Amino acid sequence: MIIAERRPIPKVLKAIEPYEKILVLGCRGCVAVCSAGGDREVETMAAALRLARKLSGRPLETGEATFIRQCDPEYLAPLKEMVRDYEAVVSMACGVGVNLIADLFPEIRVYPGVDTTFYGANPALGEWQEKCRGCGDCILDVTGGLCPIARCAKNLLNGPCGGSQGGRCEIRREVPCVWHQIYERLSARGELDRLMNFFPAKDWRPAGHGGPRERIREDLKMG
Amino acid sequence: MANITIGVLCCHYTNQAGEEDFRGIPGTVILKRYPCSGHIEVADILKTFEEGAEAVLVAGCEKDKCHNLSGSLRAEKKALGARKILEEIGLEPERVRFAFLPRLDTGPFMEEVKKTFETALNMKSKS
Ligand code: SF4
Ligand code: SF4
Repeated sequence: MIIAERRPIPKVLKAIEPYEKILVLGCRGCVAVCSAGGDREVETMAAALRLARKLSGRPLETGEATFIRQCDPEYLAPLKEMVRDYEAVVSMACGVGVNLIADLFPEIRVYPGVDTTFYGANPALGEWQEKCRGCGDCILDVTGGLCPIARCAKNLLNGPCGGSQGGRCEIRREVPCVWHQIYERLSARGELDRLMNFFPAKDWRPAGHGGPRERIREDLKMG
Repeated sequence: MANITIGVLCCHYTNQAGEEDFRGIPGTVILKRYPCSGHIEVADILKTFEEGAEAVLVAGCEKDKCHNLSGSLRAEKKALGARKILEEIGLEPERVRFAFLPRLDTGPFMEEVKKTFETALNMKSKS
């Protein structure tokens, strides 16, 4: 899922500085699951903003709502009416939600309430780890299911760098060297031959370096 | 001296203190009782400040005696979360106090309430 975390309150306060009445809008998708932008976090953000503004002598009124998803026009539709009572929206969805609101409703002033960080897994309560970067041309078939693009600090494709020590990455001791892991995994399976093919320089266009990515499925389109 | 307000957020089990007990506190006490301290949210703590509290005490049962096993541990973390936000918006984090307390014993509870009042007093005199 997409992982996000609450934006520092002063940054949000700065964005909404001119307004007196705002809507804090949560999302029940990924950001609710990773406890960054669901109902509870909406309540916290709204209370924090109100308290800060009360202290500064310019009270703020807040409305609170949470949509099923903010990355889908169907679920965003009620916003058009809802927003009439407010001067701006602080969206607690990932950046996708904020962008879609900005695309669909150019008249709405929308500001991010979270920082969107990565695609991650939730291996334990309160812990999230990056596992994939959406590079558009997956190589997990060769690397034993472990992604060196997301999990190696240098995105190396042909084995570890010289800093790999005792299975640990040179950037931080607590980070495992994913190339060490890939080697161990394939070696244990007797599949080291999978690594014999040299990866040429990666084409990063499918990863987004060729401009914003889009996927069209004609078979699913209406009309 | 200006009236001083404090907030006390706790579970039903932590205290049974009544108006009688609070009479000794020379200020206003906003008391919010929850079925379990694990239900206390960061937003509840912040709202208590919004309502005018200078300091807030969050109290839960002693670690191994929580009626719902880990409710008070969660409450302690929520108190930390609220402190972090206070810091971000320029308020002293010490304004949020947390205490693990024996169940149904008003004595230690009132001790913590008094300490919270002292914190509030200090904060008020600084501001
Ligand atoms: S290779 Fe690309 S698509 Fe596959 S897991 Fe890694 S980043 Fe994601
Ligand atoms: S030590 Fe391993 S994970 Fe770290 S940068 Fe080098 S190859 Fe990548």
